[in-house]
Amino acid sequence: MRTYEVFLKRAGKEEFRHAGALDAPDDDMARLLARESYVRRGEGSLMWLVARANIVEGDSDFLEPNFDKPHRHNDGSNIAARRKRQRSAASADTEPSA
Amino acid sequence: MTSELSPAAADYLLAFADDEHMIGARHTAWIGMGPFLEEDLAFCSIAQDELGHAVALYEFLTDDVDRFALLRKPQEYRSCAFAELECGDWVDALVRHWLYDRAEQLRWEALSGSANQSISEVAVRAEREESFHRAHAESFMSRISASNDTSSISKLSEAIVRLLPVAQGIWQPSDREEEAIREGFATASSASMAQSWNSMIQEDLLRWGLDIDVSSSTGALGSRTERSQGFERLLASLQEVINIDPATAW
Repeated sequence: MRTYEVFLKRAGKEEFRHAGALDAPDDDMARLLARESYVRRGEGSLMWLVARANIVEGDSDFLEPNFDKPHRHNDGSNIAARRKRQRSAASADTEPSA
Repeated sequence: MTSELSPAAADYLLAFADDEHMIGARHTAWIGMGPFLEEDLAFCSIAQDELGHAVALYEFLTDDVDRFALLRKPQEYRSCAFAELECGDWVDALVRHWLYDRAEQLRWEALSGSANQSISEVAVRAEREESFHRAHAESFMSRISASNDTSSISKLSEAIVRLLPVAQGIWQPSDREEEAIREGFATASSASMAQSWNSMIQEDLLRWGLDIDVSSSTGALGSRTERSQGFERLLASLQEVINIDPATAW
């Protein structure tokens, strides 16, 4: 038996989405059994089956981000903080003196 | 809808509808018992399809499908012994699935040419589902036959030889089949479909390399008015839920 990952795409612009997995002895039976297991109620109009053994995987070790390189994590918070400081400084300037 | 049908046509449909009901009910017995999870799901969805076909046919015969399907007396059913048979072994269930669905193909094809537009539409829809059922049976039969596992192959062959004569009972016609054909409701006699079925089955066996001669298998057609052994127990189990409260609308 081989394990297959099942991807379904609904009609329209939506992309393929992972629907689940199944075991089958070969490609043809995988297609037949996937139809009965995952597409009984029109869940998709196109199906991809990928033998899990053929998937090129990147594991979590490999994908661990480099936290020692903060310049790669520019989420805009530094700029936002600087602008906020500038705005409050500017409004302090224009306030009438007591 | 019921008034549209002549008595002969209703008789003809009843035999098919009860066959579909019983085969569906027997197939569902494999819920949770299939050889592996995916096959469990697939076989049970096939069972549901067959029950759906039964409902579609019963709707031509009655306004109260549940009561009609479940609460008749045993002698009022018209199913064949092959559909009623309890298959205790997975390989028997598989062989029956193949033999029955080959016959079902011919029966739907014949109805798709019916002069009755409504039944012809049901037949075309059902036959589309059946093409997947046949692909399913074929996948297992061909793979087991092509395997190196000689004990599985001999078990399969033994089941085929044992079940073939019982399967012939599918072709026991309803009492007024000729009349239904004259009316244009039915388009093929059971006898002519039996011939086509025999050659289909033989071709399948040749393709799978199984050395079984279909023509040497002789079975009595059996009767559609007498129920087979074990039917009352099957019917009782089918009635368990509706008998909790027969008056309730489900």
